[in-house]
Amino acid sequence: MALLDRSDWYDIARDTNWSPGFVSRDDMFPAELSDPYGIPEAEWETFDEPYKVSYREYVKVQREKDSSAYSVKAALSRSKFHDEADEGWAAVLKLHYGAVALTEYQASQFQARMVRFGPSPSMRNMATYGMLDELRHAQLQLFFPHELLPRDRQYDWAHEAAHTKNWAILGGRHAMDDIMMCRDAVTGAVMVSFAFETGLTNLQMVGLSTDAANMGDFTFANLITSIQSDEARHAQLGSPAIEIMIKNGKKKEAQLAVDVAFWRMWRLFAITVGIPMDYYIPLEQRHMSFKEFMHEWIIRQYDRQVRDLGLETPWYWDLLKDDIENHHHCQQGGIWSWRPTVWWNPPGAVGPREREWLEEKYPGWNDSFGTYWDVITDNLLNDREEKTHPECIPIICNMCQIPISNRPGPAWKARVLQLEHDGRRYNFCTEPCRWIFTTDPERYKHHESIVDRMYSGEIDPPTLDNVLTYMGIGVVSEGGRDGHDYSWVDGFRNQAAE
Amino acid sequence: MSGSDDARRNSVGPVLRAGEVADAVVEAMQQDNPGKEFVIENRIAYVRVETEGECFIRQETLSEALGRPITMPEVEVNLTSFAGRIETTDTYMRFYLEKTL
Repeated sequence: MALLDRSDWYDIARDTNWSPGFVSRDDMFPAELSDPYGIPEAEWETFDEPYKVSYREYVKVQREKDSSAYSVKAALSRSKFHDEADEGWAAVLKLHYGAVALTEYQASQFQARMVRFGPSPSMRNMATYGMLDELRHAQLQLFFPHELLPRDRQYDWAHEAAHTKNWAILGGRHAMDDIMMCRDAVTGAVMVSFAFETGLTNLQMVGLSTDAANMGDFTFANLITSIQSDEARHAQLGSPAIEIMIKNGKKKEAQLAVDVAFWRMWRLFAITVGIPMDYYIPLEQRHMSFKEFMHEWIIRQYDRQVRDLGLETPWYWDLLKDDIENHHHCQQGGIWSWRPTVWWNPPGAVGPREREWLEEKYPGWNDSFGTYWDVITDNLLNDREEKTHPECIPIICNMCQIPISNRPGPAWKARVLQLEHDGRRYNFCTEPCRWIFTTDPERYKHHESIVDRMYSGEIDPPTLDNVLTYMGIGVVSEGGRDGHDYSWVDGFRNQAAE
Repeated sequence: MSGSDDARRNSVGPVLRAGEVADAVVEAMQQDNPGKEFVIENRIAYVRVETEGECFIRQETLSEALGRPITMPEVEVNLTSFAGRIETTDTYMRFYLEKTL
């Protein structure tokens, strides 16, 4: 039987627009959920997604993707990979699943908002596939770590993390609530579909797959690249939305949405991808540094797409390049030091050989971040493990919810950027985080960081034990310890012996 | 590094999951885009195929390179990302940029 070409019928199948008879269009598509920019309906009808798929094709292709992901998993589940894999790799997996799995359900709800409230029929049609995609991602990333549970209770965070008030989760939730859960369909398409899904998800789902394959974890490499093949399609909801906004005099608004969303995701993804790539993956299996992946995917690929659509490179791009050299190195130090507060076992992993690699990839690392680890190394070599646990409470950024830090060295550059608003003082890590707050203070002003909660009485009394329990540590599983039980300092011990 | 970012500022093309389809795409694209120089980066789990400005994957050539028929929507299984913008039809995929910098 001869089938028509898809292009012969696609527009008819997709354009399920009708004129409401019982309610007004404004009632059906309220501005605050649909399009707050007042762009005419006729303009939205020009929305033409560049990456097209029909439902029939979608089901066939998704079935193929799923059967590949599950069959690779089934084939390799009898291998001894996880028995023999480095604990650093387990840290990568626990961090990934805890941070990502249930976020996919949020992403599905966000897509569902576009399905219902997208002002363009083709946007609603494409978002239907996006909504199903994200359900697939959540279910895969809950099912895959489940088989690892008997081995290690920390894998339970794949399902539990999002239900806790762990500090890292508060950071993720603050950002995802901001860009995915509490935006109208149009702004969300710009923030999530474009700024997030054509940008940093590539680092998490494709960049990391290289290291996964190098580790020999083909199940995970296959899983995450399969997920990103969905993203590559449904992310294409973003570009026509941006083009229609620009054409209708809303370039400034589109630019704002892109700039806010990208920076928010950057602060998180530097932790979930940057630290694994440069610290957790064993040296022999590292393919490129996080910085090199950032240049491949973001500085070159993503920024180019921003400009091709008619937007400008975000104003903070030089600050981003600076942050690429600093942020994840700072947080590796912070997370390792506060290891009892996380749900994975972060390896310090800064032995002599790792430090050589870091110095090569990030010139100046030894004279800056290295000095922080010198003290820790010295304490570990001299049986003063207790001194590697900090006693002070960090200052947390009231936007990204991440401890405020900066490059150590001869000059200590950590600065808190502050803002007084409505009688309250807010602390920020960087100019972009403070700037985001000022773009919409009403939106952000009520949120309390984990440290605010210690002072406000929500965690009472704010003893370490109480804080840990509040964060789900000792409840879902034990908290973290050094992933290698400090074996990385052996290299220094041997050097000293020689 | 910023030097090479700059030199490739108009690069476009697919990023594919490593495997037989990726290999076939690399082969097909060289036939379908005569005169184009491709940069092929093997990143173990994925392959980045890039060229300047614009390039195509055509269904017929790809099926031939693969040794079995493949439809354009089926390419999605292995198309994990791409540089530039995309146009998808029944017979080809096109990667391009509207502006040349």
